[in-house]
Amino acid sequence: MSARLGLAVALFVCVVALLAAAGPFLGGYWLAVVYQTLLAIGLAYGWNVISGYAGYFSFGQITFFGIGAYTTALLTSHTSLDWRLAALAGGALAVAVAAPAGAIMLRLRGPFFSLGMLGLAQTLRVVAASSGITGGGTGLYLSATVTPLAVYEWTLAVAALAFAVTAAIDRSAFGLRLCALREDEQVAGTLGVAVTAAKVRAFLISAAIPGLLGGGYAMYLTLVDPPSAFSTRLELQAIVMTVFGGIGTLWGPLVGGVVMSQISEQLWARFPQAYLMIFGGLLVAFLIIVPRGVVPALASRLGGPRRTRVNGTPAAVAAGGEP
Amino acid sequence: MSALLEVRGVSVSFGGVRALHDVSLEVFDGEVLSIVGPNGAGKTTLFNVISAVRRPSKGSVRFDGHELVGMPLHRVARLGIARTYQVVRPFHRLSVVDNVAVAALEHERTRAAARRVARTIVASVRLERFADAEASTLTLTQRKRLELARALALRPRLILLDEVMAGLTPTEMDEMAEFVLGLRARGIAAVAGIEHVMRLVMRVSDRVVVLDAGAKIAEGPPAAVMADPRVIDAYLGVPMSAV
Repeated sequence: MSARLGLAVALFVCVVALLAAAGPFLGGYWLAVVYQTLLAIGLAYGWNVISGYAGYFSFGQITFFGIGAYTTALLTSHTSLDWRLAALAGGALAVAVAAPAGAIMLRLRGPFFSLGMLGLAQTLRVVAASSGITGGGTGLYLSATVTPLAVYEWTLAVAALAFAVTAAIDRSAFGLRLCALREDEQVAGTLGVAVTAAKVRAFLISAAIPGLLGGGYAMYLTLVDPPSAFSTRLELQAIVMTVFGGIGTLWGPLVGGVVMSQISEQLWARFPQAYLMIFGGLLVAFLIIVPRGVVPALASRLGGPRRTRVNGTPAAVAAGGEP
Repeated sequence: MSALLEVRGVSVSFGGVRALHDVSLEVFDGEVLSIVGPNGAGKTTLFNVISAVRRPSKGSVRFDGHELVGMPLHRVARLGIARTYQVVRPFHRLSVVDNVAVAALEHERTRAAARRVARTIVASVRLERFADAEASTLTLTQRKRLELARALALRPRLILLDEVMAGLTPTEMDEMAEFVLGLRARGIAAVAGIEHVMRLVMRVSDRVVVLDAGAKIAEGPPAAVMADPRVIDAYLGVPMSAV
């Protein structure tokens, strides 16, 4: 492990430990704010693997959040299982559903995949709303035995895991293969990338994260119903945060998540009637100024080499750029 | 001597159009075979069939004893076949080094090791000054070299070079010819698609196959093939008096 990587890991552990230690001292309001932010960041990281790195823009990862939420609600109300174990089971079931779903959905490309995933989420939402075991449209009410602080800690742990997994992907051979297939699937194949295996694997990671977060959300609300479990708002929030911060980057979801939830919170406090309109306007403006997101824009501003156009300038040609 | 690559009776139809009709050919270890033919003769389709990008309606393609028809692309790469595309297709948003590192991963376990190998290959095609630039910033000529670098990184036994000379200046064509001859020197077989630069076909090829309207019309050593009246007809047309 290089010294730089060691430092990064140490910093990461410190930040997570600090957030964990701060939990009990946050008042009800701030605990709720930080919890919501962590939840959104975790969902954004989950979404970013399949949609950002692999380039399969999903409108339906909330499917797996819903599976996690319902699984946890059912297990805790019918058994005496600890809710954390139930939430883990929710994550496992999300992955179990994602394996066949991914194998089918990932045959679709571009907008067809996006719409297919949206359809999957809506289908499960309808199933949950009409099935007896899930309590239909009323949903399931849970006894309030779990404190918001416990849910906060769980969500912090999952969000930290999601960040760590993304950091590992970002440096790994697997991550490079995902980026290659995002750019051109056929060429990636001819260069030796096992395309189907790689994208299914990415899809499973992108299902596990929301699957694990769903159980906490159910406990937090002490309720699971179709609109909260398959929440369009949470899905869009994760997408908007990632796109704003920088899709397919390690820091994008974190930067986007912190900035967007703060802006949204402050606007809501000051302009309760018009805040969504102002928020939408700001978002459009940002995306026109920094279409690839904040993180890539900052990276190139700070002299990152990758976006620099090194050829074609008279200086480069004069210096013998083109032999 | 058994062939490294054996194409047997390959036909491809797009709807009613016959792109290839009953084409057979062999490529032997370490030789350069040029596929020559006018635009639309079926050269790119043949490359797509050999690299398993397109499934032929009939026929078989065997490489080193393995049937390639229907094989997943990455397994074809693993067997030792690399290809370049006529219309260059870099991974635009990846750096030049990462473009090459994707292929180098075939032989290296970590991304860091693959990037190290990729750097030396990038230097060997004289793109080292652009190693960390995004591939989208390269010129067409540079992109063609990037395609070659990626193909080399697979350490193939056979390279398929689709329309290698297209879009190059005469000087660059000579460089490309040197590159192809360099492959042969290293024991890598090559199939080169060349539309019309006969001077270079003569220079680089061990053997030549001529396609016209999807069918093989001639095959053999370059000089003999170029003197074949059917080949001359295909390129220049039949004199009116002979019709």
